[in-house]
Amino acid sequence: MSVAKGRQIIREKLNPLISMVSALAVGILFCMVLAFFLGVGSFDLISAIWNGAWGGSNAAATTLSKATPLLLTGLSVSVAYQAGLLNIGCEGQLTLGALSAACFAISASRLPELLLMPLTVIVGALVGGLWALPAIWLRQKRNIHEVVSTLLLNYVAIYLADYLVRGPLGDGSAMARTAEIPPASIWPVWWKLGTLGLTAAPLAALILACILHIWLYRTCWGYEVIACKNNPFAARSAGIAVNRWQTRTFLLSGALAGLAGALEVVAIHHRFYAAFSPGYGFDGITVAFLVNNVPGWTWLSTILIAGLRSADKWLQLSLGISPNTILVLQAVLLIAVACQSRLPVTGIARWRTVFGRLFRYPDQPQQ
Amino acid sequence: MASLQLISLTIGKTAPILLACMGGLISELAGVINFALEGMMLTGAFLAVWLTFVCGSPWIGLMGGALGGMFIGFLHSLVCLKLRANQIVSSIALNLLAAGVTGVLLNQIFQVYGTSPSVGKLPTLRQFKPESLPFIGNWIATAAGDLSILAPLAILLSFLTMAFFKWSVWGLHIRACGENPLAARTAGLSVTLIRFSAVIVGGALAGMGGAYLSIGELSAFVEHITQGRGYLAIAALILGRWKPFGILLAALLFGLSEASSEWLAVTWAGLPYQLFLALPYLVCLAVLMGQVGNKQAPSSLGRL
Repeated sequence: MSVAKGRQIIREKLNPLISMVSALAVGILFCMVLAFFLGVGSFDLISAIWNGAWGGSNAAATTLSKATPLLLTGLSVSVAYQAGLLNIGCEGQLTLGALSAACFAISASRLPELLLMPLTVIVGALVGGLWALPAIWLRQKRNIHEVVSTLLLNYVAIYLADYLVRGPLGDGSAMARTAEIPPASIWPVWWKLGTLGLTAAPLAALILACILHIWLYRTCWGYEVIACKNNPFAARSAGIAVNRWQTRTFLLSGALAGLAGALEVVAIHHRFYAAFSPGYGFDGITVAFLVNNVPGWTWLSTILIAGLRSADKWLQLSLGISPNTILVLQAVLLIAVACQSRLPVTGIARWRTVFGRLFRYPDQPQQ
Repeated sequence: MASLQLISLTIGKTAPILLACMGGLISELAGVINFALEGMMLTGAFLAVWLTFVCGSPWIGLMGGALGGMFIGFLHSLVCLKLRANQIVSSIALNLLAAGVTGVLLNQIFQVYGTSPSVGKLPTLRQFKPESLPFIGNWIATAAGDLSILAPLAILLSFLTMAFFKWSVWGLHIRACGENPLAARTAGLSVTLIRFSAVIVGGALAGMGGAYLSIGELSAFVEHITQGRGYLAIAALILGRWKPFGILLAALLFGLSEASSEWLAVTWAGLPYQLFLALPYLVCLAVLMGQVGNKQAPSSLGRL
């Protein structure tokens, strides 16, 4: 193997890292511009975000606890993307997964602890997967793009959960929430950090990310899934059941989002309440795309986005600017990363851009 | 009388979806996927309120709404056509951007969270003295007097769009770019320029749809005022099979389901109100599920 070839392979492996770091650079530049418009010092804004995310052990604990649902929804989006699908419905799947996990834990509280704890999480994941089913059915039988159907399903899921938690499944108070889940199903605190505690949930999500990465890049099944994205026609001719793999992967993706909700219930809130998710489902899209949808690198973008998420209230407290600033920053990160994957232009050959010439290895290395 | 009110309510609910739909149609017929309608509507709704607040005239506000949509459209076409990003990802990012920017600006300009102070509304039909019209004047005054003037304008605009695509050369050029950009380029059209302007003009229409929500129906901007209407508009686009008349029917269906959900919420007050809120989305999903046959999207949709 020539040196150039080896370099190319290493560069391909590091692609997610490069894409995220360059998006982050754009994001920091944009932060400075934004700070100017908001009338705060540019370094004040960046340091406020940093302090909100990692300044002190309480902030770090909050960030790490937010990392669990973000990592899982990010995995959900990236797994679906590896099969050539785009799952925007994490929000709804997460909400219903959380609701069903909470309800299962409450109604099945007489089960032995060894069964109850895993079953609660599994039920959440199953319901999340089930909520992804109509979308993939519409995609395959009616040729409706899954982005449209999952977005519509989000609204239905949120209203459905809202009705259930205010009506038949609520605890009867005016708080629009379910009763607390039995202690046997609650994940214990493992690690005291400041006044807050962390459970094993972030670790579990991280292990799941590793498993998914190995499944996608080191097994035959994963190879078939990725083939469905890269070239569905070639995959079909090679005897890969493209539709079946896409269905399975999309259901898996929904299950991951449902799992995010279930873990949120058993590890943090211990109950379900109305307006459960503060937008974790949509953050998952940013998390996944920041690292080119590679599950093994998702932890990196999760740390970034979870930091932004937990800094939003701090921005309001320390600088008096709206927490929505975080959404703007996320959008800029997403645009910056989307611009890196350049779509091919049909028909005419284009001159490489200056940027491309500077930072690109030759496609065919000289022998 | 009741049914007449339902009709006028339907028209009122259809108008924003229809405007957004037509915006999406222009952009998608030019071959650019436009899921950013939600963001365009949201930005349009906010800018309409802001400019009305500053200038005092809701008509300038309406123009501001169009400008807001055009701005998001400009960003979308810049990111998709010049920087060649994935068009769906770009749309999602722009929806996020619009949600964030409107929230931030609401706080920066009005120093409030959630709802802006109320501003002047666009005139209703009643203020134009429809009684003086022959034949249907009285009917309009009684049944549809409370409708914003933008509602009939929206329907007029949709017919104009229809005529534009059916009879004008520009309409043909736009469709050529969406069907086969290579052929269009060979025939001497500047595909990128046409797509750019199509997305921006579409943005103007969608922004006006947003302005309808903020200064036509209400008289203030509320965070997330669009409530997924941009997504309903995309669904209507699919349902109407990228044909202007089909889209008009699809938008009317969604308008009817929104109107009847308000109607039913009063009639059947015993049922949970979330059911009525979810009704438009449920109807949309049901109709998409029932739809069979060949859907002819522009063949180069999403490709450069």
